[in-house]
Amino acid sequence: MIINGVEIRDSFAEAFPMVGTRLIITADTPDWAMTAARVTTGFATSVIGCGCEAGVERVIAPEDTPDGRPGVAILIFAMDFKGLKTVVPLRLGQCILTCPTTACYAGVEGGKRVPLAKTIRYFADGYQISKKFGDERFWRLPVMDGEFVCDEDTGSVEGVGGGNILILARSRPQALAAAEQAVKAMSAVKGVILPFPGGVVRSGSKVGSKYKALFASSNDAYCPTLRGVAASALPEEVGSVMEIVIDGVSFDAVAAATKAGIEAVCAVGSAGGVVAIDAGNYGGNLGPFHFRLRDIMGGGA
Amino acid sequence: MSIVLRLKTPLAARLDLGGLTPSALAGKAPGEVEAIECPYGGRLVALGELFAVRAGGEGRLVIEAGDARLDGVGAGMDAGEIVVEGAVGAHAGRGMAGGVLRIAGDAGDELAAGMTGGRIELGGNAGARLGAAPSGARRGMAGGAVVIRGNAGARAGERQRGGLILVEGAVGAEAATDMIAGTLAVAGGFGPGAGRGMKRGTLIVRAEPALAEGFADTGTHDLVALRLMARRVPDLATLIGTAVRARRLVGDRLQGGLGEVLVL
Repeated sequence: MIINGVEIRDSFAEAFPMVGTRLIITADTPDWAMTAARVTTGFATSVIGCGCEAGVERVIAPEDTPDGRPGVAILIFAMDFKGLKTVVPLRLGQCILTCPTTACYAGVEGGKRVPLAKTIRYFADGYQISKKFGDERFWRLPVMDGEFVCDEDTGSVEGVGGGNILILARSRPQALAAAEQAVKAMSAVKGVILPFPGGVVRSGSKVGSKYKALFASSNDAYCPTLRGVAASALPEEVGSVMEIVIDGVSFDAVAAATKAGIEAVCAVGSAGGVVAIDAGNYGGNLGPFHFRLRDIMGGGA
Repeated sequence: MSIVLRLKTPLAARLDLGGLTPSALAGKAPGEVEAIECPYGGRLVALGELFAVRAGGEGRLVIEAGDARLDGVGAGMDAGEIVVEGAVGAHAGRGMAGGVLRIAGDAGDELAAGMTGGRIELGGNAGARLGAAPSGARRGMAGGAVVIRGNAGARAGERQRGGLILVEGAVGAEAATDMIAGTLAVAGGFGPGAGRGMKRGTLIVRAEPALAEGFADTGTHDLVALRLMARRVPDLATLIGTAVRARRLVGDRLQGGLGEVLVL
């Protein structure tokens, strides 16, 4: 399958179940809401070393936020619910509570409850104020800029982590330019995040390592400087590879983002130096979710 | 099946309808309802003696033309809907846990006393001790919502420990005495001596009330919680409106309390 001179390889992304939640952060200005969102989702590229994967999902207009102020939705994913319950209050307490003018609200209604203010309310040292209307409880914590308002807890979803595409291009600037276009298009899809820096990972990994202590190591088959040394997946004209990893609230959301990304890369096309689009998998035996690139692009296998 | 009760003649004594809830009446034919005995004055009387009973629409108990001697309407209610097309007496919605109780006229004392859930809408005025602790209980209303279109009497929200009371008119003296938690919002203002012994809880009002001694004035603040409540709690949307600032008075400090009065 070739689109605009770009080969869509007969491959698939292999993804795993993750547990995730959405937080809605508001602030007095859009900039401060985004600052809190960026900091809260920082150091959250991969569960391998960060304990969670997190990112900014979308900007929310004031009229659509719980308190009518500018907002940003973020998604946080962990490997299991216990992990999620651990990382969310930590990030909330260190990154949102501390950020000027913010408030934090539940962004998921159903599912198991992830504690928010339920955990961090004790920061207020007895001056915390609970307000409960119907079944919804929120807390007000006196802080130095006024009050920090935060929902008691939020819901959670069984999501999908580790969807991905690999962009194979002639040169590093061309691989990066195509990746940037893909990130732009994929970021518009609701319900997904691209947890790596700027949405792009240049150090894609394979499972395992020659070193016993490591679970993952450099994806040598896609490292251009190892062509001819390790078993390579790269034809001669490929000089650089960029990967985009996708976590989403559902299979469909990740599939939609995958499609948007491939379309954007193909729009850059061979004229822009893109040679092929591939995907990372582990043979299909580890992850239950398979995103077949050609199926997603409607070309069949 | 739902039941419609219509008083045959004005009551000559107090009648206690406590326990006559949609759940208790579920599946009962009008004939069975007529045989239910309720305390009336000093004796038990079958409902059929006092009311014309007929089947009505689905899932409701309707009381056509209320009476100020009709006590305990909706007491113990846990689901469904009760509609009263006139006034009720004391203890309406006492201990109510769910469902909706709509009363077109006035209500007597202790409306919503000890209520834990559900919703009460009152078209007229409420008597004393709205949402307070029922006789023998230590704590008042703990959950649910009560909306009063008219005024309420003395000691509204006494020992209230949760839920929302909105009074669109005014409330009498000594409201929120010993309030434990919850929200009492009053559009028309408080009578004298409000908030004595308040431990926690929130009073929302447009003009500063004549509070009991013991409230500390923390000044006027931009409170994000106001914006949130105005959107998330439809009952408060009109009262709070577009207000984003409120004067915050905290008390009763004479008793170590951290209740608050938000003056919009």
